[in-house]
Amino acid sequence: MRNLFTYIFSLVGLFAFSQNKQILYGFDDIPQSLMLNPGSEVTQKKHYGIPFLSQIHFNGGSSGVSAYDIFKDGNDNINDRITRQLFKMKHTDFFTATQQLELINFGWRAKNDIYFSGGIYQEFDFIVYFPKDLAVLAWEGNRDYLDYPFDLGEISTTGDFMTVYHFGLNKQISDKLTVGGRLKLYSSMFSYRSVNNTGSFVTRLGDNDSENIYEHIVQDADVSVQTSGYASLRDLDGASQVTSEILGRAFFGGNIGVGVDLGFTYDINEALTLSASALDVGAIFHSKDVESYRAHGTYTLDGINLIFPPLNEGDSTLPYYDDLEDEIEREIPIDTLHNSYTQFRPTKLNAGLSFGFGRFNSAGDCDCLNMGGGKLHKQNVGLQFYAMFRPKGAQMAGTLFYHRRITDYLSAKATYTVDSYSFSNVGLGVSTDIGKLNFYLAADNLIRYGNLAKAKSVSLQLGFNIIIDEE
Amino acid sequence: MNKTLSRSIIMVCACLFLTACIKDTDFDQAEDIALTPVVELDLIYFNLDARQFYDTINSNPVLTVTDTTEIKFLDDSTLQESLKRAEFYFKFTNGIPRNFQVDFQFLNEANDTTYVAGTSVSEGLPTAPVITEYIENVEGDDILRLTQANKVVVSVTIASSEENLEGILNLKSKTTYFLEY
Repeated sequence: MRNLFTYIFSLVGLFAFSQNKQILYGFDDIPQSLMLNPGSEVTQKKHYGIPFLSQIHFNGGSSGVSAYDIFKDGNDNINDRITRQLFKMKHTDFFTATQQLELINFGWRAKNDIYFSGGIYQEFDFIVYFPKDLAVLAWEGNRDYLDYPFDLGEISTTGDFMTVYHFGLNKQISDKLTVGGRLKLYSSMFSYRSVNNTGSFVTRLGDNDSENIYEHIVQDADVSVQTSGYASLRDLDGASQVTSEILGRAFFGGNIGVGVDLGFTYDINEALTLSASALDVGAIFHSKDVESYRAHGTYTLDGINLIFPPLNEGDSTLPYYDDLEDEIEREIPIDTLHNSYTQFRPTKLNAGLSFGFGRFNSAGDCDCLNMGGGKLHKQNVGLQFYAMFRPKGAQMAGTLFYHRRITDYLSAKATYTVDSYSFSNVGLGVSTDIGKLNFYLAADNLIRYGNLAKAKSVSLQLGFNIIIDEE
Repeated sequence: MNKTLSRSIIMVCACLFLTACIKDTDFDQAEDIALTPVVELDLIYFNLDARQFYDTINSNPVLTVTDTTEIKFLDDSTLQESLKRAEFYFKFTNGIPRNFQVDFQFLNEANDTTYVAGTSVSEGLPTAPVITEYIENVEGDDILRLTQANKVVVSVTIASSEENLEGILNLKSKTTYFLEY
């Protein structure tokens, strides 16, 4: 148990967040912005991601506590700090981690002016909500919590490891409107989820009519864990076999799902642009290698009732303890099920309103009077909205941004984001073209880079592409 | 101006990423993390009728009755390592007009005695039961002996008995486990 707490708190702030890529969204100089809005305005003629290097994305965060909160240097005791944080956090606080690695990404503009794009990426996504009541029970025990119902429904966690194959279309259908869609096929390698749990555990002081001093009551418990791709791993020997088996499922060897991304960009006028997208609207259908566990029921534990039966010499005693175990298993059975289940993907919504000014030309100078010139603005400011649907509701974020095309080989975007983690998240992304080679780097929470331990979230995306511009 | 700006941005980025660090923290403190839950848990309970202390078939008093139950979790290796103190609380409500001696004998897998405890219980009346409370605190080396056991033998000895003796001896009990992980 101590190791579990150590593990969780060691990861806090270093390894835990959502999938918001507020810097990449609308950053049209980077081909990967198409992955955030398939209806974004594509400026290049073709792009090819450098295999395995076109997007490396890591995102981790904790909404309630940072590593510094727990491990800071100080004279006070670490256990006192944990106790303080434990009671400060809420059951809606969460730890998340997301990692994506693009294997292939490519795109080209066809003669019919449709920009086709496709690719393959691998994704790991994990979230666990903070089960505050159970953490308090583990940390302090039940002595000081008589009559307090510890909520078993606070257990809520999901984890997915999958490969995503995608192909999308993007077309400017009028002077003002660009739309796009992307079809995704999910190949799930491993998945688990434990959500929508219910029930409580309470220790009550008994009255005169009670059988014993206390009544330990599990009330209306219904706790389940669904897994796919797990059962077959149990019999494997060693990490190498497990890794080999999981990776073997990458090419549709596991469970399959389907989803779409949809998006548009609408130029309201010369300066104002509205865009929005919905990503991962879809589901994975788990039917292979599925194993679920469900514990449900109500039970009151009073202890062991001795009845002092008259026994002769050599007679064995009554199996009180075994009977008690059997009774608990009967009243709160743990069923192992193999039913197929459908898991909806956590849909992400993005929206942005951008105000552009100054015309950009390759000389880099602001040709502000050339309103009929190139379509690109030299500078953009605006706001963005992000939401992701998680088991206990949507995680939302609002972003103010400033985007500037500095030269024909360098552009940058700065963001200020308010989200579940903090009100002081400043991010910066740069995209640079060296010949046809494009490199981009985007990171947020820069204020915390001086001491990452104080960050409740970190996010990093970087990658290399070959971009062939329009003539 | 553009070159100056772009150089500045690149420099700022480089500084931020190259100087990113974790400081003012001491992860070695993880060694000091200690969970110290205090767990309250019911133990055994019984209702002994005075008639159980008299053999009506042979017309003989039965001065001692015993019963045994396993307590399998007690010698669990995790509990052995983490239990720092155990406090047993026994509450007797005696409605039998006799004094009793109640003994608790903890045995290991081989039925060797590892720990014993016991108390006397004051006599009462069926209409006016008398409460006797008894607390057994186990800590230090005794914890090791206690957690070697996986069963307990409960012996209830009556001072004297007769056929017409009436009343109930009730026991309720719980244990407070002081743990440290």
